[in-house]
Amino acid sequence: MSRRYLQIKICSEITVTEEQFSRTLTASILKYFGEVGLSRVAPKLIRFEPYKSTAIVAFAKDYVVEVQAALALIRQIGESETLMLPLKTSGTIKGLSKS
Amino acid sequence: MVKFLDLHVIPKIGDESSCARMADLLALSGYHAVGLTVPTGLLRDKLEDLRKCFQDSGIQVFLRADLTCSRREELLKLLRRFRPAFDIIGVKCTNHSLALVAARDRRVDLIYFDPARRNVWLDDSIANVSNAAFELNLNMLFERADHLIITRFMKDIIIALRHDMQIVLSSGGTSTFTIRAPVQLMAIAEVLGLNKQEAFESVSTIPSRIVGSNIKRRSQTYVEEGVSEA
Repeated sequence: MSRRYLQIKICSEITVTEEQFSRTLTASILKYFGEVGLSRVAPKLIRFEPYKSTAIVAFAKDYVVEVQAALALIRQIGESETLMLPLKTSGTIKGLSKS
Repeated sequence: MVKFLDLHVIPKIGDESSCARMADLLALSGYHAVGLTVPTGLLRDKLEDLRKCFQDSGIQVFLRADLTCSRREELLKLLRRFRPAFDIIGVKCTNHSLALVAARDRRVDLIYFDPARRNVWLDDSIANVSNAAFELNLNMLFERADHLIITRFMKDIIIALRHDMQIVLSSGGTSTFTIRAPVQLMAIAEVLGLNKQEAFESVSTIPSRIVGSNIKRRSQTYVEEGVSEA
């Protein structure tokens, strides 16, 4: 399955952990696109950098819109307000680091 | 180069650090310009401070007034008073007759509805006569994305498209956590029923055109549509 990689900036009132991020993203896709949608998107956390507040997520290449929408609809992690901004999408992880 | 605009950002006036953070995040998200909703009676000094705060982050600022009232006469009075002073005028439609007046009036740039109100929504009679663009404030979705609101948005989009109404996507953000990147607004719009091109135009060319024509209209040389002083 061909995949796309999305680099995300996480802005939150608290320090978000890898597990919290992963759970929140999965829950958001599940809420808005259902079980079938989630299995089609197949999101996978590739890299999580808490000191930079960034994460890289891989997902099926035809579902960029669904992932972007699910990210936009995340408002909170736990009780804390959170914003997840997509920085860059690429077909390779290496491509994300290119300016 | 593509320029993205968010025509509905509501900054916390007087909280400079919040405004600066907001401006930085808007710039990081890829916006070039924003429409800042400010209170209509805000002092000129404060406006300049606000403008500077955003311009320091490379964001061009347009001032927007949101008019809310319940009667036609009231709306016309507000338009007479505030149209010359603001770059963008948005009207929050609180009832059907007001929505009709706002949609017809050429001084109104954007009309929007509160999807949580069940008694007023965009219908064919409004869309058919509208000169104003229809604004989708996606902050309602961020706050309460239940199926009723999503359905409301989808129906609004279908009606607007049926009557070739221009659609503008805005975040309606009131804090750093409620602004969204243009790609996120486009993604939500695509999920709600716009195609890729329409979603793209709703955050770039349509808002640019609205702001551009208003700036032209407010220039010293402008006489009326199609006529300007040499």
